[in-house]
Amino acid sequence: MKTIRRMLRMHRIFVAQELKRMMEYKGDFLVGIIGFLIGQFFNLLFIWIIFSQIPSLMGWSIEEIVFIYGFSLIPKGLDHLLFDNLWAIGHFTVRKGDFDKYLTRPINPLFHVMVEKLQIDALGELIMGIALICISLPSLTIEWGIVKILLTLLVIPFATLIYTGIKIATAAIAFWTKRSGNITYMFYMVNDFAKYPAGIYNNLVKTIITYIVPFAFTAYYPASYILTGKDPLFCIGLSVVISLVIMVISVLIWNRGIKAYESAGS
Amino acid sequence: MKRKLRIYMPFINAGLQEATTYRANWFFFIIGNIMGCFVSYFIWNAVFISSGEGTLRGFTMPQMVVYIFLIFLTSTLIGSGGTYDIGEEIRDGSISMRMIKPISYNATFLFQELGNKIMTVFVIVIPLVIGVEVCRGVLMGGVQFEIIPFLIYLVSCVFAYLINFFFNICFGFIAFVIKYIWGANMMKNAIIGFLSGTVVPFSFLPKSLETVFLLLPFSSLNYTPVMIYMGVYRGSNMLFYLGLQLFWVLAFWGLSKLLWKIATKHLCVQGG
Repeated sequence: MKTIRRMLRMHRIFVAQELKRMMEYKGDFLVGIIGFLIGQFFNLLFIWIIFSQIPSLMGWSIEEIVFIYGFSLIPKGLDHLLFDNLWAIGHFTVRKGDFDKYLTRPINPLFHVMVEKLQIDALGELIMGIALICISLPSLTIEWGIVKILLTLLVIPFATLIYTGIKIATAAIAFWTKRSGNITYMFYMVNDFAKYPAGIYNNLVKTIITYIVPFAFTAYYPASYILTGKDPLFCIGLSVVISLVIMVISVLIWNRGIKAYESAGS
Repeated sequence: MKRKLRIYMPFINAGLQEATTYRANWFFFIIGNIMGCFVSYFIWNAVFISSGEGTLRGFTMPQMVVYIFLIFLTSTLIGSGGTYDIGEEIRDGSISMRMIKPISYNATFLFQELGNKIMTVFVIVIPLVIGVEVCRGVLMGGVQFEIIPFLIYLVSCVFAYLINFFFNICFGFIAFVIKYIWGANMMKNAIIGFLSGTVVPFSFLPKSLETVFLLLPFSSLNYTPVMIYMGVYRGSNMLFYLGLQLFWVLAFWGLSKLLWKIATKHLCVQGG
């Protein structure tokens, strides 16, 4: 209990520090938010253009696709907002030897890395995600019950941890190879598959995004449960289980990695 | 010429060494992007099945597959990281080190990147071209490969690379206004992705928009080489678009020189 209180307090200090840093370059942080908004806008334009050619995509209406897409941005955006610093580990922190800093402080290095930065750019994704859900909801007939609302709220943090776990594991590879940023990038590209209904893929891709790199549980499966109300055990239950399994595995990899870390000499 | 080559040879070398040192990392980046292509492939596949038609806006499914992979190939070939490099140097002041050396600023970047490109050309162009051709051959029946359009495609890619290179240098000067170069660069990439036909072929846009996009410099980046490869641009049409590419190369080259002149007057490096 005491450690949790201490961690929360530390988190607050780090966030406050980060906000101060942002205020230094006022206006600049808007660049990132707008950047991500524009990026998502063009993805949406793509969806709109393909739907100008067809009435429905394999039986899914444009509103449903937009809802799934919007939902996919919420866990992604949350992870991006809170734990973006993990990207830096694989890209340059380890390579430049800067990781020493985390080892010399009296806090858990993984915790320190995760909370050190707040990536405000992610608001671009979160704003877009919420907007898309709000836009698509009125034209969808979703039966909302108390159970569904609770399950939806439950699945979002766990879906977020799927991203975080994969980032921890892939960033930790840098402890051995010095540079692993693009391995994280590669996994993130797999994530693009999850923004669309799994039915459009062949069985190989479906198996990969369900069981091997389970990004489908960050977006398509939870969203399809919300839309149809079917298979809560698979869509929500398995999301939670998978997210916990990934977190455990990635922390184990991380801990082994730290032991293998050699600082860069200079 | 010989003297120039001797000066810039080390830069080519440095670029090549950089690329080979972190080749595993680079390789994962390419695999990631190829997966992005497969996402597009499956979406278009679903679109063609859902529409029930063989041709959409002049594209058959096999042509769309070829388009997706050629756009990927072309954008990897012509990719340029100038914006980030020059922007960071302006931000942290290390640009001053380049200014005191008696060599051209643009040229050092260009040659370093060319060194980097050597690996790209050997490692991905050859397998991808073979892949695309096998795919075309199987899907459309018979060998589709023609040597002349392919050679002109490569020439067009060189033009496209130069446009991209000088445009990125120009854009890098935005660091004088915006300190968050990573964000600015990402915004630029998102916009250019759309304006260069990477997201969707222009024929899917309204006619008036298509005309405007074709005249903008960004269609010269990915779209023109791909259209030449696919044999859509032929004869005088092709010459027109190649001429347009050349025009944009010169325009952005001139602009980058001009901005460099202005920038050196305004640059203020702190500390040391």
